[in-house]
Amino acid sequence: MAKKSTKDTALVSKKEWMIILGLVVLPFVFNFSTYVQGLLVIMMIWVMLGTSWNLLAGYTGLVSFGHAAYFGIGAYTGGLLFFHFHISPWWGLLLGGPAAVILGYLLGIMVFRLRGPYFALGTLASAEILRIVFGEEEWLTNGHNGILYITTWTTKYPYYFIGLVLALGSIFTVKAVMRAKAGYYFLSIREDEDAAQALGIDTMKYKNISTVLSTFWAGTAGAFYMIYMGFIDPEVVFALHNISIITILVGIIGGVGTIWGPALGAAVMVFVQEFFRSAFFGLAPSWVSRLHALAFGLLVIFVILYLAGGIVGDWDIIRKALRFKRKTEIAE
Amino acid sequence: MKYIKTLLILILTAALMIGINGCGKKGHPQLKVGVLLPLTGSMANFGEMERNAFELAKAKINAERAKAGMDSIQFIYEDDTGKPDVGRAAMEKLINVNKVLMVTGGYSSSVTFTAAAVAQQYRTPFLVNTGSVDKITEPEAFNLTTNDGDKFYIYRLNPPVSEYASGLEGLLAEVVKPKSVFIIHENTAFGTKGAKAFQKSADKLGIKVLGVQSYSSGTIDFKPLLSQVKKANPDLVYMISYVMDAAQIMKQARELNLKPKLFVGAGAGFTMPAFKENAGVASRRVCSATLWHKALPIKGAKEFNDAFIAKYGGDGPDYHGAEAYSAAFVVDNVLKRCKGKYDKETVKKALDATDMMTVFGPVKFQAYGKKIHQNKMATYVVQWIHGDLKLIWPKNLANAQFEYPINWDKIWAE
Repeated sequence: MAKKSTKDTALVSKKEWMIILGLVVLPFVFNFSTYVQGLLVIMMIWVMLGTSWNLLAGYTGLVSFGHAAYFGIGAYTGGLLFFHFHISPWWGLLLGGPAAVILGYLLGIMVFRLRGPYFALGTLASAEILRIVFGEEEWLTNGHNGILYITTWTTKYPYYFIGLVLALGSIFTVKAVMRAKAGYYFLSIREDEDAAQALGIDTMKYKNISTVLSTFWAGTAGAFYMIYMGFIDPEVVFALHNISIITILVGIIGGVGTIWGPALGAAVMVFVQEFFRSAFFGLAPSWVSRLHALAFGLLVIFVILYLAGGIVGDWDIIRKALRFKRKTEIAE
Repeated sequence: MKYIKTLLILILTAALMIGINGCGKKGHPQLKVGVLLPLTGSMANFGEMERNAFELAKAKINAERAKAGMDSIQFIYEDDTGKPDVGRAAMEKLINVNKVLMVTGGYSSSVTFTAAAVAQQYRTPFLVNTGSVDKITEPEAFNLTTNDGDKFYIYRLNPPVSEYASGLEGLLAEVVKPKSVFIIHENTAFGTKGAKAFQKSADKLGIKVLGVQSYSSGTIDFKPLLSQVKKANPDLVYMISYVMDAAQIMKQARELNLKPKLFVGAGAGFTMPAFKENAGVASRRVCSATLWHKALPIKGAKEFNDAFIAKYGGDGPDYHGAEAYSAAFVVDNVLKRCKGKYDKETVKKALDATDMMTVFGPVKFQAYGKKIHQNKMATYVVQWIHGDLKLIWPKNLANAQFEYPINWDKIWAE
């Protein structure tokens, strides 16, 4: 998939322009209620998180189980500025990313010595440590009381468009870097780190570059979450299950190591969860809403068993399964 | 291929649109009131009890309304799953999609607080019936002052967490007279604030605080924590926990032979029937602060308890059920006083003027300290005696003699 995209000379292909255009006009075509608008904003946050995780895990082979650490730091950057200095959390949008990068670099010093499952456990532990520290150090973070900020707008459209710009920013950062030399180095590290090193690639340097880009977008996603939600507490933004694990699942469902996979995964995740949580938007009996976690879980199991490449990665299989005739097959 | 794709997208969009419109159309002549509760997730136990209580109240209210020829009330439940972000989205849905007149419910402190910010922003009256962290009714937390009552849309039926243990203080001062206490609390807003409030009570009563330890809800192994408690050897163990954690803590305390003079819970999990079921023998003689008991001399309290058992079986409701049931009647009362003019401002004015009796006690929203729109109530102490939650304090209201001192070896061996 990555190779395919490098064939296009323009960073943004025609198809992608269509998607972007579609997303921009979407709210003008449909008169969405603020509730649906809200779901779209949440979706944008997950696109950013999934995409940032995908760069690290999908392309560089560093499977992080602690993306909540960067997300949380991004969120708390804006949150703490507001809480201590009454500075608008919007500044967090600028500073959240860099703060997460610094954290990523510091954690990297420790966890990059680890590989495979040990790396995963190392990242998981980092996020958990932060969750506990941010919960206990009340003087600094207001602890479990969290930080509340009365959001700037009640309408969601400004958030939607800002989220869209950020989400596209994350996607095209990944696309750009994967077309560059660095992208090939990432892939070589993913495939065989020792071999890459033997070929003269400074693996530590490129692992760090991958981390910087990934954590930047995770932190920005966190900062945006703070501005949009208006409330953060350590259990929410440093959550192991609700952030770190769901980020991974978003990547897996959409397609690990594909540019648009996490974006699609985010859309599917938000839609499936809300569809069930609201009992098919109120059409089904209310007990259906109890299935929301189960439904998403089953979807993940199905994808892992039958579509190991995710929806985007295994699109061909899905197409065949649905008996869509693929006309281009002969041409290729 | 292209057609099929387009078709699929169209079908999906259509389904979405129909679905979203579908929510609002049901029950046109009814007065729509949103109810925010955790119906799934780790707090589902509480949410379920409160929903049952709301439904029980609804049947009674609507029967009366039908007789009087009034519009009936429709409760629209939204599951907040116990998570603040979901609670926020759910509140937005109630306000914007369901177009409710007002919202009630609100269980966990963090969720209620976040959802309250949304209600406040949309100027939608929110009658909180369980969420207990103090700041929910403190306008300061919402960038307002205590003089901004006309701009503040949050009202609370239940006392704030800082007042939960006020009833308990009497029992401790007059009967138990403990010298030391160890506080265990879950690491949430409810837990930390509750622990802080009890530390203040302890200072007032001259009880030495030997330690304050927190844990994450859903912990399985409490033994390291409880060993620490055992080592400190306090007279009193004070616990702020939701129901499953409460049961685990007591079970493991029994296994470790942790024997203080008294175990006291801060309401929440310790008064729930599910606590007794899960903790079993270890639940015996555990005390808890509570906000309500079926034996209280309040008109309708016993009837509510009996009706609840008749309809849903089991051991009946604890204070959570009473809160929800009363909230439903407050809503009914408020809407009646709107006199047919159903808009949010009229509802708010009616809420301001509320002065009524419920099975939970008198309801009148007052201003004191940093709070406004806060109902003031007494709190009580209960004890699990012979498998039943008995009201033991204050003495003049008690329906059973408290058991103290407690011979844990005998109680746990039975």
